Amino acid sequence: MDFDFTSDQVMLRNTVREYLTDKCTSQFVRSMFDDQAGYSKAMWKEMADNGWLGLTFPEDNGGLGLGQVELSMILEEMGRAVLPSPYFASVVLAGAAIADAGDKAQKDKYLGGIGSGELIATMGWLEDATSWGPGAINLKAESGGGGFVLNGLKRFVPFAHVADVAIVAARTSSKPDGITLFAVDMKSQGVATTPVTNMDLTSKAAEVSFSNVRVPEENVIGDVDGGWPVLKRLLDKAAVSAAAEMLGASRKSMEMSVDYAKVRETFGQPIGTFQAIKHMAADMLVEVESSHGAVYYASWAQAAGAPDASLAASVAKAYVGDASRKVCGDSIQLHGGIGFTWEFDLHLYFKRAKYYEPMFGDADYHREQALRTLEAETK
Amino acid sequence: MDLSFTQEDIAFRARVRKWFEENLPKDELKSLDERVAWHRKLYAAGYVGMGWPKEYGGQDARPMEQAIVQDEMARVNAPSTVNGLGLSIVGPTIIHHGTPEQKSRFLRKIMNAEEIWCQLFSEPNAGSDLAALKCRADDKGDHWEINGQKVWTSGGFIADWGILLARTDQNVPKHQGISFFLINMRQPGIDVRPLKQITGGSEFCEVFFTKSRVEKDHLIGKLNQGWQIAQTTLGFERGAGTLNRVTTYLMSLRRLVDVCRSLKVNGHTAIEDAAVRQKIGRAYVELEVMRYAGLRILSRLEKGQRPGPESSIAKLYYSEYDKRYHHWVMEILGPYGNLLEGTPAAYAEETGSGASGRHGVWGVDFLQSFGPTIYAGSSQIQKNIIGERVLGLPKEVRTDRIEIAKQKGG
Repeated sequence: MDFDFTSDQVMLRNTVREYLTDKCTSQFVRSMFDDQAGYSKAMWKEMADNGWLGLTFPEDNGGLGLGQVELSMILEEMGRAVLPSPYFASVVLAGAAIADAGDKAQKDKYLGGIGSGELIATMGWLEDATSWGPGAINLKAESGGGGFVLNGLKRFVPFAHVADVAIVAARTSSKPDGITLFAVDMKSQGVATTPVTNMDLTSKAAEVSFSNVRVPEENVIGDVDGGWPVLKRLLDKAAVSAAAEMLGASRKSMEMSVDYAKVRETFGQPIGTFQAIKHMAADMLVEVESSHGAVYYASWAQAAGAPDASLAASVAKAYVGDASRKVCGDSIQLHGGIGFTWEFDLHLYFKRAKYYEPMFGDADYHREQALRTLEAETK
Repeated sequence: MDLSFTQEDIAFRARVRKWFEENLPKDELKSLDERVAWHRKLYAAGYVGMGWPKEYGGQDARPMEQAIVQDEMARVNAPSTVNGLGLSIVGPTIIHHGTPEQKSRFLRKIMNAEEIWCQLFSEPNAGSDLAALKCRADDKGDHWEINGQKVWTSGGFIADWGILLARTDQNVPKHQGISFFLINMRQPGIDVRPLKQITGGSEFCEVFFTKSRVEKDHLIGKLNQGWQIAQTTLGFERGAGTLNRVTTYLMSLRRLVDVCRSLKVNGHTAIEDAAVRQKIGRAYVELEVMRYAGLRILSRLEKGQRPGPESSIAKLYYSEYDKRYHHWVMEILGPYGNLLEGTPAAYAEETGSGASGRHGVWGVDFLQSFGPTIYAGSSQIQKNIIGERVLGLPKEVRTDRIEIAKQKGG
């Protein structure tokens, strides 16, 4: 039983933190609010050169072959820095789906490009319903002409406006799980992208409509009608990964709050002297450390293929979703009026955490998933 | 990072599980003698005082082995050892701070439950502010004379001996005038009165000392160093119960799921009710988080690192969880939760296996849940500790600290 990071992992974490502290400043983050692309191509290239974009991909595809623990550590740092980038879309979602279910040709075609940063990928999952089960996927894919024809609309597609390729979950059968995954070239005829504006201005997204989009047979990822198990596995990984980003945002918020409570004086005392503030800060630490345990237990369980990996993913997403909203929200309260201002950085962390809170299943959804495993144990 | 149990630990757990399957008492343990006999059987098997050094009858067991035994005991709802305080706090204190004579006089009898111990720290006006205690010990030449009152003394009525904090110098700042004694509870001048609790039970007592006697050689450590010794003593509790606490709740939760399959609400079973599902789901999620935190503490202990004030985080988490969990249970059970007697068996908690003798009613556990956020450092005290010692926030302005500063300056 060893809950500490290895020295290699600590080194990776420190490298990422140093890089982001240097490059991903508050000024840079804010400059991306109105930037059309919403990320820095130069930084993207540097991150690729550092191996972060291919972190979890097989070494045969130019990746580092590392696991979810290392990925979560990097994501925690990205949450800490509110890094504006298509990392989650390209690496954590689309890249992971291809690495999991793609054939050799597809891995050769896409993973190297995603890892080197030359190719940006994303994932089209949600439609009108906000639910994460297969029943909510109705974008239609009909076979014909040596491939499939896609019709429908995907919402909340992260960084779709800069993506070269999207992994799209489409319905290919009326059976409840009759889902197939397609790699769709975003330049295909019939694909239209309409940007939407998130509360978190650094998490860019778009609606993507598909109107008679032709996708060749070789772009089916995995088996026809066999997409749901892939999505289900991906949902667990995405839940843990989102929790890692939220953890980073809440830890940073807590650190800023504690620093502030030490120096901000009122009634002739630093406010951290007062129990009302001290207890609030203590509660933040309890939430942050509990979140840390949840994120890294779930990350390890994913990497090790532990029997409770799926449960741990749901536990992490449900717990950290609530905890990060509370910690980041209380940080605003602790800072008083200044915490409410646009100039001060706290809202960046709050909004990043808030962006991930409903994504890949909110706390209600994952509590339900957790309960189902408990029910199965007691049947 | 590797959160799997080692092959050694897995094999150890299997041995322990087998032992408890073969040796768990079939019937409820009613008398103290029966409980002592069970304690000695556990000791003979090597499951009592496991962390103590071999030279004092322990096993030098790793923290993980201790946790596994505790966990397996929770799994089968085994009756606990009878001298818990003696084993977890008194023994380690004597081992660390005691004289050779004290070690040979007391340790073996703690281990085999020949002498049962209690803790005489809190007073009516010195709970969270423990150093404000007033119970005094006066030097009478050949012995110490104790006068005063203690309160919230768990198991005071069955105790043969107690660890006592008493004031030995009235003229120094409050933390500096306290000494740590071992006191014989079976002597004239000690009046032990059980206190009836919110649950209707009596687990603790108030204790009155009138010219009670402590032998000269029953002082632990040096005179007026009781406060520092008590600080290390309270630290011995750390890490205990990291896994078994989770297992105990898990069994309760599974039972709750069972109950919800038959309990009716809004025209369907409770388990089909979305609000009920969210409550149980939340309880389960928060319990799993407690398990991960427990493993994290065990991981530290296994490496020989003592969790510092961070253990306050664990204390705060589990005691507040206890309250929340039982609140949700009461909400789910509705009027059935209020029943202490005549509970339909189908809706009672099934922890009273006969072996532990615990009456399985959720309402009692609900009332009991008001205890943990108060005892062993209230939630508010834990938050002060976390705020000041972990996060480094400035100390609260307190008049006693101002007094000390004045005395030092003057």
